[in-house]
Amino acid sequence: MTEANLLEKYASEVFAGLVAPVAEGLEISALSAEDLPAKEDALVRMERELKRALEKPVSERRWVMVIDLRRCVGCNACTVACVAENKLPPGVVYRPVITEEIGTYPNVTMRFLPRPCMQCDKPPCTEVCPVTATYKNEEGIVVIDYEQCIGCRACMAACPYGARTFDFGYYYLEQLPVLDETIVGMETASGYEHASQEYGRAWKREKRHDSPIGNVRKCHFCLHRIKDGILPACVTTCIGRATYFGDANDPDSLVSELISQPNVIRLKEELGTEPRVYYIV
Amino acid sequence: MIKKISYAVGVLALLFGLWGVYVRLFEGEQSANYGSYISWGLWVAIYLFLAGVSAGAYMLATFDYLFNVPQFKGTGKTMLWASLVTLPAGLASIGMDLGHMERIWKVYLQPNFTSFLALMVWGYTIFLILIAISLYLAIKAPEKAALKAVMWIGFVVSILVAGGVGFLLGGNAARMYWHVGLLPVQFPVFAIASGAALMLLLVGWFMPSLDGKQRGDLLWLLAIISIATSVAKLYFLLADFTQSLYGGAVDNVIAVQSVLTGPYRFSFWVVQIVIGLLIPLLVLPQPKLAKNGFVAGLMGLFLLIGYVAARILIVVPGQIPEMMPGQAEVFHGPKLSLAYTPSLMEWSVTSAVLGFAILGILIGMDYLLDYLTRVMEAKK
Repeated sequence: MTEANLLEKYASEVFAGLVAPVAEGLEISALSAEDLPAKEDALVRMERELKRALEKPVSERRWVMVIDLRRCVGCNACTVACVAENKLPPGVVYRPVITEEIGTYPNVTMRFLPRPCMQCDKPPCTEVCPVTATYKNEEGIVVIDYEQCIGCRACMAACPYGARTFDFGYYYLEQLPVLDETIVGMETASGYEHASQEYGRAWKREKRHDSPIGNVRKCHFCLHRIKDGILPACVTTCIGRATYFGDANDPDSLVSELISQPNVIRLKEELGTEPRVYYIV
Repeated sequence: MIKKISYAVGVLALLFGLWGVYVRLFEGEQSANYGSYISWGLWVAIYLFLAGVSAGAYMLATFDYLFNVPQFKGTGKTMLWASLVTLPAGLASIGMDLGHMERIWKVYLQPNFTSFLALMVWGYTIFLILIAISLYLAIKAPEKAALKAVMWIGFVVSILVAGGVGFLLGGNAARMYWHVGLLPVQFPVFAIASGAALMLLLVGWFMPSLDGKQRGDLLWLLAIISIATSVAKLYFLLADFTQSLYGGAVDNVIAVQSVLTGPYRFSFWVVQIVIGLLIPLLVLPQPKLAKNGFVAGLMGLFLLIGYVAARILIVVPGQIPEMMPGQAEVFHGPKLSLAYTPSLMEWSVTSAVLGFAILGILIGMDYLLDYLTRVMEAKK
C-alpha cells in the first residue's frame, strides 16, 4: 500500500481534506536538518542572557524565576539538584515540589507546584529579624548572613510561603559504618556534606555549633552560581524546561517575554509581598 | 510543710532540669521536638507565660505602692521580687530556644528596630532594670516620691511589654490564628490574671505573717480579681473560637479544631478548662474557701497551670496550618513535621527554668528580702 492509499483508506472525511494534496500524489520527502527552523534550547538562551545581565550594574538587574506549571511533571529533579548543589542536610529543603492529587482513586490526576523562596520585594521575613541577619541584598535576593543569625526562627514564623527551614545539625552520613574500605564511613565521606559554597564562601559545618547549624536557611537563587554566569541548579536540571531564570529588567530576555503574558500568577498576591517568582498556568 | 514541699519541688525540678540544660548547651537542639514547621514550641510558650507573670506581679505591686489599696499593704516587695525572678526565668527559656544564643549581644549592639522581637528584647531589658530599681527603692525608702515615680513608669511599661508579647504573635499576618487584633489587648489581661494567681499562691501558702484579717481580705480580693480575669479569658476564648469556626477561614478552623478535638484536646479541656478555669471558678466565689490559705494557694497553682496550657495552646496551634498545603508530605526529613509534643529534653529545660523561679522566689521571701532590708537599715 502506498502512503497515499493508506491516508485515503484511514483518514476521516475532514482529515481527508487536509491530506488531499498528498492523496493526490504529491511527492513526500524528508526535510534535511538544515531546512528545519533553528530552535535554541531555553537554557542556552538564558545562559547568554545571564551573562548579558551580569555586565550591567548590580542595582539594574532584576532576577526573577518563572515556573511553567503546565510543563512540570513532578520529577523532583530540581529539589534533588538543589540539595546536591547546596549540600543541604537532612531536614533542610529549599525547593520542594508540592503535589496535589485531584479526583478520587482510581480516577486521579496530579498537579505539581515547585516552591522556591519567592524573593519577595516586600518580604515579611526580613523586617522581623532582630539583628538584620536576613535582608534583601543589592540584587534584590533575600539572603541570610549565617554569622549574624541568632536562630530565633521569627523569619520562619513570618514567611507565608513556608520557604525557610532550620538547620538542626544533621548529616546524611551520620552513623554510617566503616567497613574494609567498602563503606568509607562518616569521617572520610563527610567532606562532601561539608563543602557547601552558599553565598560564595565555604561552610565547613563540622562542629555542632558551626553556622549554618543553628541557623535558618532558604533558597537564594544559587547566588554563588549566578555570579559566575551559571544558572541556578534547579533551572539547569529541569527535564521539562519548566523553570526559567533571568533578568526582568532586560526587555529582550526570555523571562520578560514570559511574565508579560496574561496567564501568569504569583502566589498569595493578596498579602502584598510582591514575589519575584512567577507561575505560568 | 507546704514550704518544705515547695523547696523540695524546686530543688528536684532544678536537678532534673540540669540534664536538659546540659544536653541543650552541649549537644544542640536535635533532641527538641520543635522543627521547621512548628518552629516555636514549649520554651516560647513558657517565655510568654513567665513574662506575663512578671508583668502581672509588677502590676499587683503597684496596688501597694501606687494605689495604696489597704489589703495589699506590705506585699509590694514580695511581688516586685517575684517579678524580678520570673522575668529572667522567662528570658532564659527563650534564650535556650535560640540556635545561636551566644550571639544575643547582637540584639543590643546591632539591633534591627523594625523587628518587634528586637523591640521586645529592649523593652524587657528596660523593664528588668525598672523592676530592680523599684525593688531597691521599695527596700530603701518605700515612702519616698522616687518610688512612686519609678513605679508609674514601670506600671506603664509592664502593660506595654505584656501587650507587646501579644503583638509579637498578633502582628504576624502569615498566621491567621495569631493575627487577631485583640491579641495585644488580651495579653495585659492575661498578665494581671497570672500575677493575681501567683499572688494567691504566695499569700495563701507562704505569707502567714500577714495580719489575719488583712490576709483574709487580700485573698478574697485576689479571688475576685482571679474570677473576673478568668471570666474575661473565657469570653476571649469563646469569641476567638466561635468567630474562627463561624468565619470558616481554613487556617483558623484547622488551628481551633486541633485544640478542641485534635491532638491538644486533653491539654485544652482537662488542663486549661477544667483545672485552670472551672475548678477555680467553682471554688473561689465561696468566701470561706477563698480565704482559706491552703485552698487559695491551691487555686492559684491551678490557675497558673491553666495559664501555661493556655500559652502553649496559643503558640503551637497557630503553626499547624501549613503555609503551603501539602508541603509537609512531599519532602521528608527530621524536624519536618506538623505534629508537636515537647520532648523530654524540652520538659527538662523547662523544669530547670521553673525550678529556678520557684527557688528564687522562696529564697527571696525567706531570706534575701529580709537580709537586704537589714543591710539598708544598717546603712541609714
